[in-house]
Amino acid sequence: MTDLEEYRQSVRRWCADHVPPDWRARQTGVTGAGFAQFQQWWFAELRSAGWAVPHWPAEWGGGLSVAEQEILYSELAAADAPRLVLQFVAIHHAAATLLAAGTPEQRRRHLPAILDGEVWCQGFSEPGAGSDLASLRTTALRDGGAYIADGQKLWASGAAHADWCLLLARTDPAAPKRKGISYFLLDMKTPGVDVRPVRNAVGESHFCEIFLAGARIPAENLIGPENAGWQVAQQTLGAERGLTMLELAERLGHAGFRWLVASCREAGLLDDSRVTDTLAGFETEIEGLRGLCRSQVAGTSAGPADASVVKLYYSELLQRMTDFGVTVTGVPGFTALAKPASSGWESGIWPLDFIGSWEWTIPGGTSEIQRTIIAERGLGLPRGA
Amino acid sequence: MTVTGAEAAEVREELRDVARSLLAGDPAPSAKRLASAGWTGLEVPEELGGAGVTFAETAVICEELGRAAAVSSFLGAAVLGAGTLLELSPSAARDDLLAAVAAGDATPVAVLPGEAGFVPSAASATHLLVVEPGGVTVAVPGDAGVSVEALPVIDETSRLARVSVSGASGGPVLPFAGDPSAVIGRLRDRAAVAVACDSLGAAEAMLETTVAYVKTREQFGRAVGSFQAVQHACADMLVALRVSRELVSAAVTAVAGGAPDAWVRAAMAKSHACAAAVDVAGQAMQLHGGIGYTWESGVHVYLKRALLNRSLFGSPAGHRQRLATRY
Ligand SMILES: Cc1cc2nc3c(=O)[nH]c(=O)nc-3n(C[C@H](O)[C@H](O)[C@H](O)COP(=O)(O)OP(=O)(O)OC[C@H]3O[C@@H](n4cnc5c(N)ncnc54)[C@H](O)[C@@H]3O)c2cc1C
Repeated sequence: MTDLEEYRQSVRRWCADHVPPDWRARQTGVTGAGFAQFQQWWFAELRSAGWAVPHWPAEWGGGLSVAEQEILYSELAAADAPRLVLQFVAIHHAAATLLAAGTPEQRRRHLPAILDGEVWCQGFSEPGAGSDLASLRTTALRDGGAYIADGQKLWASGAAHADWCLLLARTDPAAPKRKGISYFLLDMKTPGVDVRPVRNAVGESHFCEIFLAGARIPAENLIGPENAGWQVAQQTLGAERGLTMLELAERLGHAGFRWLVASCREAGLLDDSRVTDTLAGFETEIEGLRGLCRSQVAGTSAGPADASVVKLYYSELLQRMTDFGVTVTGVPGFTALAKPASSGWESGIWPLDFIGSWEWTIPGGTSEIQRTIIAERGLGLPRGA
Repeated sequence: MTVTGAEAAEVREELRDVARSLLAGDPAPSAKRLASAGWTGLEVPEELGGAGVTFAETAVICEELGRAAAVSSFLGAAVLGAGTLLELSPSAARDDLLAAVAAGDATPVAVLPGEAGFVPSAASATHLLVVEPGGVTVAVPGDAGVSVEALPVIDETSRLARVSVSGASGGPVLPFAGDPSAVIGRLRDRAAVAVACDSLGAAEAMLETTVAYVKTREQFGRAVGSFQAVQHACADMLVALRVSRELVSAAVTAVAGGAPDAWVRAAMAKSHACAAAVDVAGQAMQLHGGIGYTWESGVHVYLKRALLNRSLFGSPAGHRQRLATRY
């Protein structure tokens, strides 16, 4: 047996011992606190196996090879393990930002804390600044040893549970749009920070508004140079895309496709050739998606817009698959009012999964924005007006 | 030839470059030309005058033939003809024919079960390899009981013929080296993946041409490629082709390595790449405007080729039905 095959077997055994068989039922209809508690427990389980942050450098507690990470994600997906939702921003965006632009002191302060369960959110978007993020208006003006933040952030996922926030704010209101923005680490317990959950289309309250009224951010919590926040954000936003997408593709390929076939079987539709044609089409597309993710992670097909290709393709495939799930399960599918928290975007409660698929086509650059990026950066078409 | 993965990839890139420039100069290479370039003998063992490499190299040529919308006997004679011979138990008859293929002196085509009505390149074939569960009968056009009727084809870059070989006319039956049903399955996978490669190459050519055109064509005082509707259509073409490429690469690797699940990879690649190529070529026609609809522009050549490819050796729906037998 090769080392990698042995590794796969060890992950598989671990999953068999550690993934609670009834977690879906236990996570259905839980409160926000119940969800957060479960997430922290699962994160700690993964951490004790050494798998909470496999993509981090070894000195900070990660250090798995890309091949090992692929295996890890594929096995977790095959075992239908819970997803890391609560820690997502912390282990991906926050860590990437700290590693790329943080001072040694900032890294020492936060990376170990993240491993201990510190939760982060991302405060980028605003009511007036979505796709055109650089038009953001929240300000953070220097006042002695601190910056005073005022403004409103919108759609910050998980902010109700967050200890810290990655904040973009304008430090030079007179400078051109992209030149006057700085990047901050904001302690959510700072006086003047007010979080209000916003109920989303599925009915959950995962994303929030954040109001900032005279919130003092100590100057040592500026990350990267003053007024260079836009560059830092650009650098780190896509940093973890490859592996994140690999995980999601594996989930779609394992549990997602299995649920879909099971739904078709339960509905007695597996001898309808229109249904099996659609299923086989999805299976084919998922295989293509997995290939794309693997090539991207391995760096064998690096095109300038690869991250956009993968994000766009995944999100629209997810949307089409979940829509198909709705048609297959029909009216009976509408009587389940909650899907398990901590699940992926394909829980098998298809109407809610389908509604939830817009969580992928809207954030992080909408599908329209991704297509424009692919055309302009990937294909070199002239910039639009 | 034993080469490592990285070396093999390098060799394939060289092969691709050579093929691209050869076909740019001669989009209708003769069998002799294909042989002198070394393509018909790619998979033929070295001791018979071939290169002794794998289907992965053959696939590179298929893709480039598609990119150039080339007219050739490669699919019929090298991919399927030589491919069929390589599945036979070694014999003098087999080896002579393989050596002749590598040298460009013979262009045998395979007549797969149920496919005799539309055999690629049969009208110019020197031999007909009639594939049946019991083995291969080698028939020669012109002999009694052997009829080959060239068919008119809307795709002017493809050559199809109806073949019929009546009972007694053939020569001896050459046995397969392996289990006949597995062999026939492998030959069908080869055919499907070769056509998928052709479609991928053709579609990539169409995207490239389209991108170049919309960058320079101006309307309303600006390049039409700066209009978002045009940009997004091009982005969708690229995404579809990136997915096709992943599926085709996986299928080529599986077929070349004789993987047990090669038929699954082949069905996925064939159904996706051949359908996507039609969409891409159709979108290319649309984005070229009126020019794209002219005979002169050549877009129709690719659209027709992609359309025919989609139906050859199993429709997308047919391949998906095979995949669905696993659910
Ligand atoms: C579930 C969810 C979670 C989120 N989590 C976070 C988070 O944690 N932190 C955070 O900061 N933000 C988050 N967001 C915000 C998200 O990034 C924005 O919603 C997104 O960037 C779109 O901005 P918008 O909502 O203002 O839409 P708009 O930008 O107003 O877009 C409206 C429509 O116009 C289209 N459009 C806009 N500009 C163009 C253009 N140039 N060309 C073509 N079409 C265009 C868009 O595609 C869209 O269809 C989240 C959003 C959602 C839905």
